Amino acid sequence: MAIVDELNELNAQALRDIEAAADTAALEEVRVAVLGKKGTLTGYLRGMGQLPKEERAEVGKTANIVRNAVESALANRKEALAKAELLAKMDAEAVDITLPGRGQQVGTRHLISGIIDEISDIFLGMGYSVASGTEAETDYYNFEALNAPADHPSRGMQDTFYLVDRTGEQAAVKGESAALLRTQTSGVQVHTMEENKPPIYIIAPGKVYRRDVADPSHLPQFHQVEGLVVDKGISFGDLKGTLDYFCKQMFGPDRKTRFRAHYFPFTEPSAEADVSCGVCGGSGHLHNGEKCRMCKGTGWLEILGCGMVDPNVYGFVDIDPEEYSGFAFGMGVERIACLKYNVPDLRMLLEGDMRFLRQF
Amino acid sequence: MKVSLKWLSDYVEVPSDIKAFCDKLDLTGTGVEGVDKLGAAFDGVVVGYVETCEDHPDSDHMHVVKVNVGGDEPIQIVCGAPNIAAGIKVPVATIGAVLPGDFKIKKSKLRGVTSMGMCCSKRELGMGTDHEGIWVLPEDAQIGQPIADFMGLIDTVLDLEITPNRPDSLSVVGFAREVGAMYAKPWTNPLQDMAAKLELAGEVEPNAVKIDVADAVRCPRYSARVIHGVKVGPSPDWMVERLAAIGQRSVNNVVDVTNYILFLFGQPLHAFDLNKIKNAEGVAHIVVRAAEDGEKLTTLDGEHRKLTSDMTVISTPDQGAVALAGVMGGLDTEVTEETTDILLETAVFEPGRTSRTSRNLGLFSESSMRYERGVDDHGVEARSAAAAALIVEVAGGTVARIGEDGCGIVDVWPAPSEQPHLQFRVKRFQAMMGADIPRDFIVDTLERLGCEVAQTEDADVLSVVSPTFRPDLPREIDLYEEVLRLYGMDNIPTTLPAGRGRIGVRTNAQLVDAKIHRTLSACGINETMTYSFAAGDDLDKLRMKEDGLGEAVELINPMNSEQAFMRRTVVPGLLRSVAHNQAHGVSNIQLYEIGTVFAAHEGDRKPKERRKLACVLAGAMDDKGWNTDPRAFDFFDGKGALEAIARELALPKIRFKALSAEDAPHLQPGRAAEMLSGGDVIGWVGELHPLAVAAYDAEGPVVAFELDMAALERNARPARDYVDVPQFPGVERDAAFVVDEAVTCEKIMQCMQSAGGKLLESVHLFDVYRDAERVGEGKKSMAFSLTYRAADRTLTSEEVDKAHEKLVTKVSKATGAEMRG
Repeated sequence: MAIVDELNELNAQALRDIEAAADTAALEEVRVAVLGKKGTLTGYLRGMGQLPKEERAEVGKTANIVRNAVESALANRKEALAKAELLAKMDAEAVDITLPGRGQQVGTRHLISGIIDEISDIFLGMGYSVASGTEAETDYYNFEALNAPADHPSRGMQDTFYLVDRTGEQAAVKGESAALLRTQTSGVQVHTMEENKPPIYIIAPGKVYRRDVADPSHLPQFHQVEGLVVDKGISFGDLKGTLDYFCKQMFGPDRKTRFRAHYFPFTEPSAEADVSCGVCGGSGHLHNGEKCRMCKGTGWLEILGCGMVDPNVYGFVDIDPEEYSGFAFGMGVERIACLKYNVPDLRMLLEGDMRFLRQF
Repeated sequence: MKVSLKWLSDYVEVPSDIKAFCDKLDLTGTGVEGVDKLGAAFDGVVVGYVETCEDHPDSDHMHVVKVNVGGDEPIQIVCGAPNIAAGIKVPVATIGAVLPGDFKIKKSKLRGVTSMGMCCSKRELGMGTDHEGIWVLPEDAQIGQPIADFMGLIDTVLDLEITPNRPDSLSVVGFAREVGAMYAKPWTNPLQDMAAKLELAGEVEPNAVKIDVADAVRCPRYSARVIHGVKVGPSPDWMVERLAAIGQRSVNNVVDVTNYILFLFGQPLHAFDLNKIKNAEGVAHIVVRAAEDGEKLTTLDGEHRKLTSDMTVISTPDQGAVALAGVMGGLDTEVTEETTDILLETAVFEPGRTSRTSRNLGLFSESSMRYERGVDDHGVEARSAAAAALIVEVAGGTVARIGEDGCGIVDVWPAPSEQPHLQFRVKRFQAMMGADIPRDFIVDTLERLGCEVAQTEDADVLSVVSPTFRPDLPREIDLYEEVLRLYGMDNIPTTLPAGRGRIGVRTNAQLVDAKIHRTLSACGINETMTYSFAAGDDLDKLRMKEDGLGEAVELINPMNSEQAFMRRTVVPGLLRSVAHNQAHGVSNIQLYEIGTVFAAHEGDRKPKERRKLACVLAGAMDDKGWNTDPRAFDFFDGKGALEAIARELALPKIRFKALSAEDAPHLQPGRAAEMLSGGDVIGWVGELHPLAVAAYDAEGPVVAFELDMAALERNARPARDYVDVPQFPGVERDAAFVVDEAVTCEKIMQCMQSAGGKLLESVHLFDVYRDAERVGEGKKSMAFSLTYRAADRTLTSEEVDKAHEKLVTKVSKATGAEMRG
C-alpha cells in the first residue's frame, strides 16, 4: 500500500477513534497514540527523510493534511467533551435550594434603642444635637429649676424614687430626699441652658424612673426623649410645626397631629400632642363599624407633652425671656414602641427573652 | 374630679352633645377621664308599664301585676309595695339583673305565685334613701328602655382631670365659669343668693367664739360661725342624690352640707360640735398654731396621729389639738347624732404645709387636695354664710349673732392676698403664638375668666387684673396660655423655626456607642436592657469584689427588697435574663447591655454614675444545622468580641492580662483576664464562676465581660492608621514550638516580634496541640504561620531562611522551646 493510502487510512482510523473517545482522558490517549512522541503519525513524519525525493512532496502534503484534520478533530472533540463533562459536573452538584442557608447570626438592637435611634435621626436632620444627662438627679434639677418648687402640687403627678442623701441632710417630708432618680428627662433642659447660650436645639433621650408597679402597661424604669429649642422669635406655631413634622416622619405621612391644652410646671402655655390613630385612620371605628381598640374610639393617640419654655425656667439659667423664646417637649419611648409594634406587655422589654429581642 | 352635668346645668348651659363637649374640654385643658351615665350598672333594669294590678290571692299586702317591659308578652311580677297601681310606669329589674348589694334577680315563687322580676324603689337602685315605695317614673318614660339610659337622661357624670394649677376648677361653680368661657356663654354664680338667705337670730354673743391665729402664713384667714339647735339626721334626697352622683356617701345633714359647699364652691369647711370645744366659761377659744413635736391627735378616721411642728393644728387651750388644719378634723370634736350646736369653720391654710402634712401622714382628703392647690381667701365670709344658711335649711337651728357687733361671724384675716396687676402686650402675644389672635377675643376671654381688663394709653398694651381665685395667673405669660387654650391650639398655623446657625452633631460618646453596637451586632450578640435596680446581696451572689465599685446607692422607697439598691454592675441583670431564657427552653443566649451603674460617696448628694458595657454568652451561637455544627461558647468567644471592639474603636496597645482568683473571684480561675489599652484598664472578660452562675439559677458555662465605657471613649481613635497595601509578594514559613504549659502565647509572640526584625510582617497562630506521648507531659505545641515581606522588593529564599532561622533560635532560647518537625 502506498504511504499516502496508509496515511489516509490512519486519518480515517484516528477520526473514528476521536469520535469514539468517551471522555477527555480517552481523547488524550488517542492524541498521544497519533500525535505523541511515539505516535503513529509522528512516525510517518519522522520517516519522511528516508522517502524517495519524488514521493516526499506528496506524502508530506498528505501527512500535513492528516495532522491538521486530526488536530482539528481533537480540538472539537475536546471542547464537546469538556462541555458535556462540565454540564455533568454541574448537574451532579445541584442542591435543594430550599435547604436553609448556612447560619449567620447578626445581633439585634433593642427595640427601645432602635426607636431612640430613629427619633434621634429625625431631629439630627433638623439640626438638633443629642444631649444626655445623669439618671440620678438632685431635687433642684428634677423639680425646682423646672418651676416645681418644694411642695408644689405638680410633684404629685409623678411618683418619685428617692435616694439616701449622703450629705446627711434631712428632707422636710419623711421618706423624701433631695437626691432622687429623675422622673423626667426635663432636667437636661436646665443643664443644657446652664452650659450653652442660645440658639439651643437639642434632644435628650434617656432613662427615667417612676414608682409604678411593673405590669403590662407600666414599668418603674422607662425612657423619654426630651427636646428643647431656645432661639429668637420661636413661636407656638414653630412647636406645632416641628412636632407635626416629627410625627409624620415617625408614624407616616398620612398621620395628623392635634394639640390639647395641658399643664406642666416648666412650660407655659403647655399642651399634650396626639397623633391620629393608624389603625382606624383617625375615625375611631373600624371598617366593620366596631370601635377601634387601639385609640379606644377617640381616633387619637396621646404621644407627647410640650409647651413654650416657662420664663421662670429661664430665670434659673439666666436667659432673658424678653430676648429669647423657646419650646420644650417630652415623649415616652415605650409608648411609641407600643404604638408601632403593639407590644402586649412592657415587662418584656426588660426580660432579655431572646425570642422577643431577636424580632427587632 | 367628678362633675354632675345636671348639677352643673343649674349655673351654665351644658351642650347637649356630650361627646363634642368632652372633646372641647380635652382640647382646652380639662382632661375627660370618664363619662358615666348614672345607673350604667343596672343592666336588665328597664322601664315597665303596669297593665294590670290584682291582689295576691294568698296575701293581704302583696299584689300580682302584669308589666309591659317592651317584650311580646307582659311579665308577671309579685310586688309588695303599697303604691303599686295599674297605669303607672316603674323601673323593673328583669331576671338576670344585679342590683346594688350584689342582689341578683331570679325567677321565684312568692306564696305560690310566680314572679319574673322586681319593681324597684329608688333605694333598691342605689339612688337615695327613699324607700316608701316603688319609684314612679314620669309618664313619658319609654317602655322597655333600659333604666340606665333613662337615668342617663337625668344625669351624666364626667370624671375630669383638673391639672394642679387650676384649684378654681375643683368646684361646680368654678367649672361653670370655665364652661362659660369655653363657649362664650353667660353663667350664674349662686353664691350671693345663697349667702343672702342667712338669717341671724338670738342675743348677741360677743364672747362665744375667740380666734387666735398664731401665724398668718400658716393660716391667712380663719372664720367661724355658730349654729344653735340643729337636728342632725338624714339629708334631703336632692342633696343625697347630688353627692351620690359624684361618688360621695351621705353621712348626715350637717356633714353633707360641708361637703356640698366644698364641691359647689371649692371651699373646705369643718363643723365642730360646739359643746365639745367650749371651755367652762362657755367660750370656744380657737387657737390656730403650729403643732408641737410629738403632739397627738385622733383624726376622724380613727387613726392616732403623732404630729410634728411643721403641721398646723386647730386647738383650744384646754384640749390641745382638735383638728389637723386643712387636712382632717379630730374624732373627739366631730358632729354626731347628739350634736345640737355647731361651730362652722371656714378658713384658708397654707398650700405647702398642707401638702407636706398630707404626705408625712399619708393622709389625703378632698380638703387637703384643695388647700394644697390654693383656696381663695377672698369671699370666705359669703361662702361661710351660704353654708350656714344651708345647714339651717336642712338641719334646722339658728345662726347665732356672734362677734362683738353681732354680725354672725368671727373672722380673722391678717393679710388679704392682693390681685396681680399685669400688662398684656398684644403684639408680643401674637408673635409668640404665631397667629394674629384678635384683640377683641383676648379681652372677652380674659373677662369671662374673671379678669378685669382695661385699655392703656399704649394701644398695644392691655392692663389686666387677675382674680384671686386664679393663683396660676400671676404673670403675663400665664394670661397668654389662657387666651391660647380657649382660642384653640388647633387654630394656630404650623411653621418651622427659622433659626440660623444650628448644626446637629453627635458627641464622641455617641459615636463610640454606635460603633460598639454595630460591632457586637456583627458578632451576633443581641442588645438588651435590664433593671437599674439591684438587690442588696447582688455582689455577694456574683462573688464580685467591691473594690472600685463605690458604696451601694440605697433607695428610700424601693418597690421591693430585690430592687432596694442601684446596681454597681450590669452582670446580675444579664444573668437573670440568662436564667429566664434557660427556664423558657432557650439555651443559646448572646446578650449585651450598655447601662449605667451607680456608686455612693459619703458627703455627696448625687451618686457617681458610670456607663458599662456588659455581655453574657451561654450555650452556642446557633443550634446544630444541617450543614453546621454548634460550638459551645468559651472564654475565647468573649475575648474575640473584645478584639473586634478594639479593632473597630482603633484602641491602641491592647493587651489581656490573666486575672487571679483573688483579683476576680467572680470568674472561673484560669479563664479570666483583664483588658488593657496601654496602661488603662478597660474591663474584664472571662467565664463566670460556676457558683456565681448557680446563685442566679442559671446554667453555665457563661462567658461574660464588662467594660468601662468612659475608658473606651478615652482610648478610642476615630480611625485606624492606613498601611500601604503590599506591592511585593510575601513568603510564609511555619514554625511549631513545643513549650511548657506555663509559657503563654503572648510571651512567644513577643519573642517572635522582637526576633523577627523588619522582615517579619505578621504572625498567625494556627494550632495548639497537646499530646503527652508526642509532645510530652505538661507541654504543648504551638504552631505559627509567619509572613515575611519587604515593602520594596521581592525577598529571596535565602534572606527569608536566614531571618526565620534566627527567629526560631531566639524564640527557642527565650522560651525553652523545642522545634517540632
